Amino acid sequence: MNGPVSEIILSAQDVAKRFDTQAGTLELFSNISLQIQRGETVAITGPSGAGKSTLLSLLAGLDLATEGSITIAGQATHQLDEKARAELRSRHISFVFQTFHLLPELNALENVILPLEIRGTTDAPDKARSWLQQVGLGERLDHHPAELSGGEQQRVAIARAFATEPDLLFADEPTGNLDEHTGEAIIEQLFQLNRDQNTTLVLITHDNHLAARCDRRLHLHNGELKERRTAGALHD
Amino acid sequence: MTNHSLLKLAWQQTLAANRLPIWRALLLALTVAISIATLLAVLGDRLEQSLGRQTAELLGADMTLRSGRPIDPAIAERARSLGLETSGVIQFPTMIEAGDNLLLISLRVVEAPYPLRGKIVTQPTLPHLPEPGTLWAEPSVLERLNLKVGDQIELGYTTFTVAAQLTSTPDRGNGFSTFSPQVIINRQDLTATKLLGVGSRARYRQLFAGEPQALKQLEARIRASMASDERLITLDNSNNNINSSALNNASRYLRLGALLTLLISALTIALSLRRYTLNSRDRAAVLLSLGMTARQLQILFLLQLLLAWVACALVGTGIALLLEQFALVLLSDLLPQPVPLAQPVFYGLGALLGLVSLITLGLPPMVAMSQVSVMYLFRRTAAPTTLGGRVLQLVAGVLLTGLLMLYLEDLQLTLILIGALLITAWVLGKFGAWLLRISAFALAGKHTLVRLLRLRIQQQQRWHRMQIPVISLLLALMAISLWARSDLMERWQNQLPDDAPNHFLINIQPHERDGVDQVLDNYQLNSSLYPMIRGRISALNGEPVATAFTPEQRQHNALNRELNLSWTSEMPGHNRLVAGRWSPQADGDTAYISVEQAFANTLGLKLGDTLSFTVGSFPVDGVITSVRAVQWESFQPNFYVIFTPGALDNMPMSYITSFHAEGEQRKVAAALLQRFPTITLIDIDQLLAQARSLIGKLSDTSGMVMLLTLLAGLILVFTTLSQELDQRRYENALLHTLGATPQQCRQLDLLEFALLGLVCGGLAAALGEIALWFIHQRLVLIEPVLHPSNWVLLPLTATALFTLTGLLARRRVDESNSYRLLRTLS
Ligand SMILES: Nc1ncnc2c1ncn2[C@@H]1O[C@H](COP(=O)(O)OP(=O)(O)O)[C@@H](O)[C@H]1O
Ligand SMILES: [Mg+2]
Repeated sequence: MNGPVSEIILSAQDVAKRFDTQAGTLELFSNISLQIQRGETVAITGPSGAGKSTLLSLLAGLDLATEGSITIAGQATHQLDEKARAELRSRHISFVFQTFHLLPELNALENVILPLEIRGTTDAPDKARSWLQQVGLGERLDHHPAELSGGEQQRVAIARAFATEPDLLFADEPTGNLDEHTGEAIIEQLFQLNRDQNTTLVLITHDNHLAARCDRRLHLHNGELKERRTAGALHD
Repeated sequence: MTNHSLLKLAWQQTLAANRLPIWRALLLALTVAISIATLLAVLGDRLEQSLGRQTAELLGADMTLRSGRPIDPAIAERARSLGLETSGVIQFPTMIEAGDNLLLISLRVVEAPYPLRGKIVTQPTLPHLPEPGTLWAEPSVLERLNLKVGDQIELGYTTFTVAAQLTSTPDRGNGFSTFSPQVIINRQDLTATKLLGVGSRARYRQLFAGEPQALKQLEARIRASMASDERLITLDNSNNNINSSALNNASRYLRLGALLTLLISALTIALSLRRYTLNSRDRAAVLLSLGMTARQLQILFLLQLLLAWVACALVGTGIALLLEQFALVLLSDLLPQPVPLAQPVFYGLGALLGLVSLITLGLPPMVAMSQVSVMYLFRRTAAPTTLGGRVLQLVAGVLLTGLLMLYLEDLQLTLILIGALLITAWVLGKFGAWLLRISAFALAGKHTLVRLLRLRIQQQQRWHRMQIPVISLLLALMAISLWARSDLMERWQNQLPDDAPNHFLINIQPHERDGVDQVLDNYQLNSSLYPMIRGRISALNGEPVATAFTPEQRQHNALNRELNLSWTSEMPGHNRLVAGRWSPQADGDTAYISVEQAFANTLGLKLGDTLSFTVGSFPVDGVITSVRAVQWESFQPNFYVIFTPGALDNMPMSYITSFHAEGEQRKVAAALLQRFPTITLIDIDQLLAQARSLIGKLSDTSGMVMLLTLLAGLILVFTTLSQELDQRRYENALLHTLGATPQQCRQLDLLEFALLGLVCGGLAAALGEIALWFIHQRLVLIEPVLHPSNWVLLPLTATALFTLTGLLARRRVDESNSYRLLRTLS
C-alpha cells in the first residue's frame, strides 16, 4: 500500500529535553531531529537511562519538549493543549507496553473491544474478534489475562493496539518481559500486522537482533541520536 | 463511549475491586456509617414520636387536661355543650396483692366513653371498658404476681376478676406511671375500693375529642383559667409534653455517639480511597492510553463509587432496620405500644448521608487520579498531588462538617465536638507516638529485633499517630460506659447505710394511724408516722407569688404544684438545723415553720419571713424560724416545710412513714395490706431493681451503638495498616535478603502491635480513670475509685485488636511478597 509519494507521519526538529532536579538541570538530549515516513519500522536503542522512554513520550505527544518541535500527522504538539493532544493521540496513536497492561477483570475479547467502545466504533465485537483471530487467539476470546501466558497477553495487547487502526504504534520494550523464543514470535506478529496495515512502528528495544530487523535503527547515547544502517533497510 | 458501555466497565471494575482488601474496608466503613446513621435517625424519630410528639392514638383523645387535683366538672359540662366527647380518668399508684406477692402498680380508673381516640387491645378481645367487678392488667402485672386471666385479686377493699390482659392501650399517662405496670378498672368500682384517700397521689385527666373548631374554643376557655400545675396537651403542641426536653437530650446524646462513628468512618473512607486510587493509577493510565478522556475516566470511577454506594446503602439500611427492631424489643417496656413508624424520610437519611460523604471524600482522589499521565506507564514517576486535589480536600472537609451539623441538628455542638475530638486526637497521637519511641528505646539491647523495631516505628509514625488516638479513645469510651453503669448501681446501694429504710408507707388515713403503728411494732419496726397535708404556696410576706418571686424562682417546682406539708413538735432526727431555732409549738395564733435549706436558698427565704399557703381552700400562714438541712437520699420522709402543731388541724390529711424491713420482717407488708387494704407500700428494693433493669436496657441499646463504633475503629486500623503495605513489603524483602527468617519478620510485626496495644490500652485506661473520676465527683456524687482491672484488660484488648487486624492486613503482604521477591531475584 506504499504510495509513490512518501508521507512524513512523524517529525522532530531540534528537540531537546531537560529536567529540573535537585542536583540542577539534567539535559537528557538536545538537537535531535528525525523524520519518520508512514509505514516505516523504527527501532530506538541505547543504554538504560539514556532517555529512550522520554523521547518516546515526546514523539507520542504525551509530553512536550523543552526545545524544538514535534509534528504528528501534520500537527505540531506544542501548539496543542493537553485536551487536543489527547484527541490527536486517540485518533492516530496506539501503545504496546513491556508489561502488557491488560485490564485483569476483562477477558481477551473485552480488552480488545474497550478502545473501540471508547471511540464509539460500531460493530466493535466483530472487529475485536477478527483482530484476535489475526493474532492467533480466536479460540481464547473469553479467557482472562490471568489465564493467558505472557506471550498470549502481549498478543492481546497487540490486537488491542491495532484494533483502533492507528497511524503510529509505539512499543516500549514489547519483548522485555518475554523469553527469547516467545519474543521472536511476538515481533513476527507485530511486523506482519505492520505490513498489512501500513502502520508506522516505533519501538524501543534492547534486543539488537530485533532492532536489526527494523527499517531504521536509531541509537540514543550521551544525548545524541545516531542513525545506524540495518539489515531491514537493506531489504528495501 | 456510550453511557451503557461506561456503566458496564464500571460494573466490571467494581466486581474486580471487591476482591481487594482496601476496597472491602471502604465498603465496610460505608456500610457501618450508613447503618448507624439510619439506626439513630429512625430510632430517634420513633422514640420522639412515641414519647415526645403526641398523636390522637397515643393520647386516646384530641386534647387532654392534666391536673394534680380533681378537675372542675364545669369543664366537662362545657365540653359537652360544645358538642365534644369527654371522659375523666384518675390514675394513681397503689399496691396489688395476690397470694404472697405484692406489686406496686399504676391504677387507671376510667369511665365511658373511653378511650376517645385509638383503641385498647385486650386478650381476649373485650369491649372498651372493664365491666364493674373486673379489671384489665398489663402482662407484666400478671407475670409478676403469677396470675392468669380469670383469677381473682384484691384492690383495696374490693375483689376483682382479671378479665383480660392489656396488649396495648392509649393514654398511659405521663411521668412515673408510664414506666409502671398498669391496671385498668371501671369508675363505678372506685368508691368501694376506698383507695382514693387524701394521701393517694392521684393524677386527674379529662380527655376531649371532636370538632377542631369546638376544641379550639374549649382550649381558649381552659387556658384562661388554668392553674400552674395543670397541663393542656394538644396534638399540634408537643412542647407541652414534659418528656420532650429529656427526650431531646437523649436523642442528641445518641446522635453525638453516632458522630464519632461517622467521623471514624469518614476517615476510613478517605484513606481507603486514597490507597485505592493510588493503586489504580496504572489502570487510569492504561485507559487514557486507550483513548479515554480524563472526564470519562472521572465518570467511570464515579460510577464505581455509586455502585458501591447502592450495595452499601441496601445492606446498611437493612442492618439498621434489624438493629432497630432489636432496640425496640429491649425498650419495649419503656415505650407506649404500638410505637409509631418513623417518617419515610428518616429511612433514607443514612443512605443519603453515605452518598454525599462518599462523593465529597471520593472526588479529590478521583480527580487527582484522572490527571495521571500515560507516561506513568513508561516511567514510574509519582503523580503529584495537584493543587486542585488539596483545594478539593479542603472543600470536602468543610462540606462534611456541614453535613454532620445538619444531621445532628446542632451547629455549635458539632463544631465544638469535632474541634475537641481533633485536639484530643492530636495530643493523644503525639503523646502516644512519643511513648512508643521511648519504650522502643528502653527495650534497646534486649532483643536483636529492637533496632529494626525502632526503624519501623520511625517509618510508621504517621499511621501510628492516627491509630493510637482512634483505638485509645474507643477503648476508653467503652470502658467508661461499662464502668459508669456498674459503679453507679453498686456504689449507690453500698453508700446507703444498711439500715436505711427500704419501704415507704403512704396514704395512711388518720383512723388507721394507731393500727399501723401497732402492726409495725409487732414486727419490731420502729418508725415515726408523719402527718402530711398538701398545700400550695400563695404569698411571701403578704405579696402574691407572681410578684414576690423573680421569674427564675417562679420556675421552681415548689411554686408550681402542691407541696407536702407536715407538722411536728420535734425536729426529725435525720434533719440538721443550720439556721434559727427549732420552734416546738405555735405562739398563740402565729404558726412557726421550718424550711429546707436548698429550697429556702432558691426562693430567697429568710428567717422571720411569713410564708402563706392554701390548703384545699383554706389560707394558712407560717413564720420561718428555722432552716434545716435534709439528706434527700436517706429514704426518710422529708419535707420542704414543717409547721408547729395545731395550725393544720382539721384539714384533710394522711400519714406517711418509712422503715427498714429485712427477712421475716418483710412479711409486714402482707400483714399491713391485709388490715389496711388502701394504704400504699412502696418497696424501694423493687423500685431499685426496676431502675436497674431500665438503666440496663438503655445501656444495652447504647452498647449496640458502641459496638458499631468499635467496628468502625477496627476497619480504620485495618485501613491504616494497609496503607503502607508497599513499605512493609519492601522492608520485609530487605530483611529477607539480610538473612532474616519469615518468622523474624512476623515477630517484628507482633512486637510493633504489642507495643502499640500497650500504649493504646494504657492511654485508654488513663483516659477512662480521668473521665470516671469526673463523672463520680461531679455528676453522680459518689466517692471516686480506681479501676485496676482496666490497666490490665485494656492493653490486652488493644494488643489483641492490633494483632488480629494486623494479621488480616499482613496476609496480603506475605502472598504478594514471595511473588515480588521471585521477580526481583530472577
Ligand atoms: N520527570 C523527570 N524528572 C527528572 N528526571 C527524569 C524525569 N523523567 C526521567 N528522568 C530521568 O531521565 C533519565 C532517562 O529516563 P528514561 O527515559 O526512562 O531512560 P530509558 O528509557 O532510556 O532507560 C533517567 O535517568 C531518569 O531518571
Ligand atoms: Mg525506558
